[in-house]
Amino acid sequence: MNITQILVGSLSVITLFSALMVIISRNPVHSVLWLIVTFFSISGHYIVLNAQFLAIVNIIVYAGAIMVLFLFVIMLMNLNRETEPQKNKWLKLAGVLSGGSLLLVIVAALHTGDIKAMAQVKEGDIGLIGTLGKELFSTYVVPFEISSILFLSAMVGAVVIGKKE
Amino acid sequence: MNALLLSALMGVVMMFSGIVLKSKAAIRNIAIAGMLALLLVNILEMNGTVFLVIDSKGMIGFDRFALLFNSIIFFSTFLYLTLSARDMEKVGVNYAEYLALIFFILCGIALVSSFRSLIILFLGIEIISIPLYILTGSDKLNLKSNEASLKYFLLGSFSTGLMLMGIALIYGAKGTFYTSGINMVNGAISPLLIAGMLLLMFSMAFKVSVAPFHFWTPDVYDGAPTVFTSFMATIVKAGVFIAFIRLFDEGFASQQPKWKLIIAILTAATLLIGNITAVFQQSVKRMLAYSSIAQAGFMLLSVYAMSPDSKEGLILYAAAYCMATIGIFAVLIKMSDYTFDGFNGFAKQQPLLAAVTTIFLLSLAGIPLTAGFMAKFYMIKAAMYNSGLLWLPILALVMAAVSVSYYFRVIQAMYFRESSTPSTLTVTPAFRYTLVALAALVVLLGIFPNLLLAWLYF
Repeated sequence: MNITQILVGSLSVITLFSALMVIISRNPVHSVLWLIVTFFSISGHYIVLNAQFLAIVNIIVYAGAIMVLFLFVIMLMNLNRETEPQKNKWLKLAGVLSGGSLLLVIVAALHTGDIKAMAQVKEGDIGLIGTLGKELFSTYVVPFEISSILFLSAMVGAVVIGKKE
Repeated sequence: MNALLLSALMGVVMMFSGIVLKSKAAIRNIAIAGMLALLLVNILEMNGTVFLVIDSKGMIGFDRFALLFNSIIFFSTFLYLTLSARDMEKVGVNYAEYLALIFFILCGIALVSSFRSLIILFLGIEIISIPLYILTGSDKLNLKSNEASLKYFLLGSFSTGLMLMGIALIYGAKGTFYTSGINMVNGAISPLLIAGMLLLMFSMAFKVSVAPFHFWTPDVYDGAPTVFTSFMATIVKAGVFIAFIRLFDEGFASQQPKWKLIIAILTAATLLIGNITAVFQQSVKRMLAYSSIAQAGFMLLSVYAMSPDSKEGLILYAAAYCMATIGIFAVLIKMSDYTFDGFNGFAKQQPLLAAVTTIFLLSLAGIPLTAGFMAKFYMIKAAMYNSGLLWLPILALVMAAVSVSYYFRVIQAMYFRESSTPSTLTVTPAFRYTLVALAALVVLLGIFPNLLLAWLYF
């Protein structure tokens, strides 16, 4: 068992544990903090896979920007145990059943299916910023440009919603 | 490609026209002229004139089917703008922005009608969805509109998440985003592919409000400003349907035995729930929301049958459904009372409008000599020829009969009930003429459906 395997193993344990804590913890602020831990450990995975660019973007965008926004929203809404909505127990049962079935299907599919390209630990160069940039601006340049329309429409929408009437 | 570029460009133009121009009539005229130009360049592309050739590495492919479908969508939007653009002014102050968002949505529809790669499908669906969340909530002072927008946004982003998960699983199984590559069979079928296909199917089913995923539809359609409900229920729904049929025709044709039964069950559930719930509605707007679910059931028959017949049927259905529903909504927007009682005595007050509304309702119900009849006929014919399941077309026929009951309630209210309040309806002559032309088109397509379908082949 070499150092990479130990690293991947421990990162996976941390990711799974913190992801579980996100949904288990009763306090929404704790959930968000655990979610940040999850993002950081996923970034750790990216680094092990030699995808530094993804790792940094993941931290900057998700752990940095989005999670801070989440925290602000949750703190401003002042959620606590009294305001927690009481759910019907049949609804809870239905949720557990359907979620469990989805988990079963996906785990079974991942277990039986053969993944085409195995993850390349350490030596893969797919995630390097140069390779990524070349792909993005040659093969995927059309979708890249089209996504600008998506962002433009989202921006117009944000102004429409945010402007005072 | 022409239409794709021009629609994005028109969106930007509309954005700036809001700053430069102060007159709402000028903004509206630019939008209508832009819509006509969009239709024109699309028809030019059908005849082989492409202004700008872009190498998309095979990710986007405009074929005859996609182009004809786009033409129908653009023509319907043109009619929609001429009939209802005036009513958008009442929604809020951001008039030019609403029109810009509509052009962006059209750009999304041009993408999903011609995608060859799942990346483009995803981008297209998102370009359609995000402006819709905003249009739904554009009546900012109305709590119902806010609620509808938030509900639509949360559920819509969840279904987008499902779609991404599905695409990721498919990529894991096949190592490609191209639909042609996904369709190729080499060796055993990976369970990953099937799981991904199901997730994609469910998220698409959500976007077109197919039965077990339809719960958002009545609330959102009811809460949104009526002008935008009209757009969402017709043009957008038909646009996403073409993505649905293209995905399963080109991406998953080789997996047909795996998905055929599931689609059949979804279709049956949609037909049952949509039609039977619509019978119990008290508001015409809500009834039309359920009717759009029911009509989605009929359109889903084309995905189920998956043959050249069913593609012709979808083209005809999209045209018939869009035109009739846009017409009814255009009249409904003008009404002050959206319940069935609001239509009482309408025939005495506005004989012409009542007559054209009757034609649209007859078309939706599928009465012969209207486009709706031919459309339903093509769908059920395709389902009869290409299936082992005879119960599905029979169920569709029975449900078409059920639908008559709620469409005719409006006709009954218009012609056989007396109104207690005098009419306050004001319409311009242009509005009247456009509606009459629309009704004439509905009847013309019902008699000569080949006028439209011939465009597919020459």
